[in-house]
Amino acid sequence: MSASSASTYSSVPAAPALAGSSLPLGLGVAGLVVAVAGFFVDGPQAAAAGWLTALVFWVGIAVGFLFLIMLGYIFDAGWSVVLRRQLEHLVSVFKWLAVLFLPLLVLAWAKPGLLWHWMDPNFDLSTVGGHGTVGTDVLYGKKSGFLSLGFFTVRTVAYFGVWIGLAAVFRRNSFTQDADGEAKWTLSSRKWAAAGLALTAVSSTFAAIDWVKSLEYHWFSTMYGVWYFSNGMRGALSVLALVCIVGLARGTFTGVVNRTHLYDVGKLMLAFTVFWAYITFSQYFLIWNANVPEETFWYNLREVLHDGAPSQWKWVGLAILFGYFLVPFLYLLSYKVKTVPRLLAPVAVWILVLSLVDVCYNVLPFRKDAAGDPLPFLSLQLVWTIAAVVGVGGICVWSYLRSFPTAKLIPIRDPRINESLSHRE
Amino acid sequence: MSEQIHGYLAAFDTPAEIMHAAEQVRDAGFQHWDVHTPFPVHGMDSAMGLKRSRVQRLTLLGGIAGFTTGMLMVWYMNAFDYPLIVGGKPLFSPLFAFPVSYELTILFAAFGTLGGMFLFNRLPMHYHPVMKAVTWPRATDDRFFVAIDADDPRFDAERTREFLEQIGGKDIAALEP
Repeated sequence: MSASSASTYSSVPAAPALAGSSLPLGLGVAGLVVAVAGFFVDGPQAAAAGWLTALVFWVGIAVGFLFLIMLGYIFDAGWSVVLRRQLEHLVSVFKWLAVLFLPLLVLAWAKPGLLWHWMDPNFDLSTVGGHGTVGTDVLYGKKSGFLSLGFFTVRTVAYFGVWIGLAAVFRRNSFTQDADGEAKWTLSSRKWAAAGLALTAVSSTFAAIDWVKSLEYHWFSTMYGVWYFSNGMRGALSVLALVCIVGLARGTFTGVVNRTHLYDVGKLMLAFTVFWAYITFSQYFLIWNANVPEETFWYNLREVLHDGAPSQWKWVGLAILFGYFLVPFLYLLSYKVKTVPRLLAPVAVWILVLSLVDVCYNVLPFRKDAAGDPLPFLSLQLVWTIAAVVGVGGICVWSYLRSFPTAKLIPIRDPRINESLSHRE
Repeated sequence: MSEQIHGYLAAFDTPAEIMHAAEQVRDAGFQHWDVHTPFPVHGMDSAMGLKRSRVQRLTLLGGIAGFTTGMLMVWYMNAFDYPLIVGGKPLFSPLFAFPVSYELTILFAAFGTLGGMFLFNRLPMHYHPVMKAVTWPRATDDRFFVAIDADDPRFDAERTREFLEQIGGKDIAALEP
């Protein structure tokens, strides 16, 4: 129980893996170049859909980082303080995600209807298995007050504004406290966390509705924002676990992050696995039970083709059910798995991959043929999607590594830093 | 004399002292001993060399039993004992049996945990010889105690008392059986 002296650990942060390497930025740019190449090879819609998938995936994870920072402050948590510094570096990605979202906004104005069909009143719905045009569609008319191109743009700018602003506040408060040790920074962050949790909950919910759910604008589900939150939290916790594991393996976190911190991150990974399943099952179950065509069509087109043959997406859905819930759930039940880095790392990577599959399942089937059947999962569009995911991910890693040397390894003057350093079961 | 006592109780003043004392008792090879503290001291499990609790095994068994019970119950009632079509749904589907099974998983897992507390943690314990020691009530206030039982294979009336003094124990008292 001896109170560890914080200063011995943090005078010079040891460099993380890939520090100073041009690999993340190079990989990021290369991925984005390949994703853009899809624009010319496979058509603008295929490339844009892949780009959107990548952003929905990474923004969800980044929002998860932001939630983790704010949850630490709002509960005045002691254990997570040493991990918070890594989260503060990770939320530096929001400004780059905003820049990477710009092409989609430009595309929305230049070619409305390409991604979000409702943006173009003249969009011919018969090309995607419907009839008439968006302009004559009663269901669009009812929603047009909310679903308009101008309002969509304003909202998207507002979401990024909220996230970039909150990330900047928490980073400034925490980094400044390293220098002056004033308690007022912690108090300020706690107040901002209270407001920020509400703001981020609302903004990420509406982001999910705008960017993903409105791809199929006839459909509605009140669970959608929570699904996006739970998916992002699972990804964020997996990234955090990997950051800890890599840092421990390289000695960057020696004496700072211990087995109990890893155990707690693992516990949260298990908790959010169950939470995600609860949300996803509730959404499916309510729609299945009510059996109303206005809602069931969203799952139907992910299960059967118009002639009744099973669609590829049915197997993707089953892979998500078993691979994204059952396998990680049973695996993470074990105490040993959550405390041994060698055992926790594979499931963190596994969850990240399946999280991307879940985002694909939600985004990509909006691309349909004239019969209303979605393009199969395994098609050329998957190439641009993966390229964009690698591209945006590379930029995010680069942004994290760029932020890493600008502050101490841990918040050395946080009021709860000793409690966090001596955190034990 | 040594056959008549239940063991020794030694007092310590701070969490740090009790941690060091526990480590030394553990390293000395004692097995039948315990620590009494006014609040949970984090890290005490490993300082005492305790193995992980076996309670969660019963929790898992309870959870599996609960899930199975839920599925079987809904199948028995809706599809076997009184087949009834509701809302055009099949007589049995794991989908509508799931919420019930999920609740029963949690309920039976809680029962399993409760049973584990009785079986493995020997709760409830209404009496223990340490309670007779005049110093012991302060374990609920501001003092920390190590109690070594006389039935420990390494227990020796003289040497164990000396050992407790040596590791910094104060107010060492012999416990009546």
